[in-house]
Amino acid sequence: MGCRLPRSGPLGSFALERGFGGDCGVALLRVVFTQSPMTEARLNFRRTSYVCRWLLALSTTACLKAMADEPKPKPENTVHVEVSEAVKPQTFARGLKFFVADVTDRSGNAQPMLVYRPRGGIFLDRAPTEIMREGLTTCLKSADALAADRESADFVLTIYLFRFGLSDSSGMDFFGKVEFAAVVKNPRTGKSQQVSASGTSIAGVAVLKKNIQKNVLENINKAFGDALRNFLRGEKLRDAVGTLDVPAEPKAPPAAEKPVMQK
Amino acid sequence: MRKIRMAILVAAFGLVLPGFAKDPEPQFKSVEAKHFTKSEGVELSPEFTDYLYAELRAELTKAKLFGQVIGEGEVVDAADAPASIVIEGGITEYKKGSAVKDALIGFTAGWRSLKVETTIKRRSDQKVIVSPQIHVRASPRWKDKVLAKEAAQQIVKEIKKALKDSGTGT
Repeated sequence: MGCRLPRSGPLGSFALERGFGGDCGVALLRVVFTQSPMTEARLNFRRTSYVCRWLLALSTTACLKAMADEPKPKPENTVHVEVSEAVKPQTFARGLKFFVADVTDRSGNAQPMLVYRPRGGIFLDRAPTEIMREGLTTCLKSADALAADRESADFVLTIYLFRFGLSDSSGMDFFGKVEFAAVVKNPRTGKSQQVSASGTSIAGVAVLKKNIQKNVLENINKAFGDALRNFLRGEKLRDAVGTLDVPAEPKAPPAAEKPVMQK
Repeated sequence: MRKIRMAILVAAFGLVLPGFAKDPEPQFKSVEAKHFTKSEGVELSPEFTDYLYAELRAELTKAKLFGQVIGEGEVVDAADAPASIVIEGGITEYKKGSAVKDALIGFTAGWRSLKVETTIKRRSDQKVIVSPQIHVRASPRWKDKVLAKEAAQQIVKEIKKALKDSGTGT
């Protein structure tokens, strides 16, 4: 058996005790170092196991609490966002028709419908892409600028949504932000241009949960309406349409009938 | 006793009356706030300028001087252009401040500081109405966006003052 005792210093003074313990009469050898620091503290595994149990209990409680805090959508914490007043798009030289092809979420948000996390959370009732599509089509329809299908449209819009909801604020208010880019494509020529638009809104904070929900909803609605207005009444859209819009090819005149020569 | 009652009644009526008064007519048809640019060396996130823009628009709406607060790059009818203004500006300086100085010395030492140059122009002829220089400070313990809120309030205050000095402003 290898000896791990220190070779110098206190090794000089130790006592070897011999005794019998237990029923089986196993000889117990107890090396007692009278001056060695190695003998000062004996490991008490019973105490350690108590500490471990306490730590386990605490971590379990924390996990359960965290799971309970994770907001879940319920009817009472779900808001319905829609464009409150249809934005009238700008007028173009000729009546143009737009078709909303695709709306893609590019926010990179794992929970796009969760707009406010604290106090049980506030959720949107639909995905932001759906809200965006509905808002845009409503506005275009109100001005009779919505094409029934892709074929009949003068321009096809593909929307990329970058942000929809609340953004980081000063802490004294809610900062609503809607940001998107639209690819305006002329299906006849195949040429396209990107138009970006954004809408912001600031609303005061509230203490009561009901008021928080009201303010958040109002804030997002305002920011959404603002973004749609920024897009539909923006100079960027006007410039893009001006560049991409080519006059329709004149229809070929019917073949002129040769006059019948009368003899 | 009767006289006192009458006096109270008159005073109450006098206090309530301004509440029924109509809001003053807006002096301008529309105002357009643009995103502020950042000078070289200004270490602020793009979100800060977004927030400043949003705060400025919120403050302009509150001021009730303008018929409509339009977003950046929105079209305005040619007829409305003479009665419309555009707010442009740039952040020229930003100091982060020091939380240690603020805690040890106090008395606004180590506070954050923001300097903003603003130009308010008439849309039709691009005539500069006023160009205030704003300097705001805040404790480093607060978020930097507090500075944006303060700056927006000061810009609107300056606009109000300039319009008051120049009469109608149109």
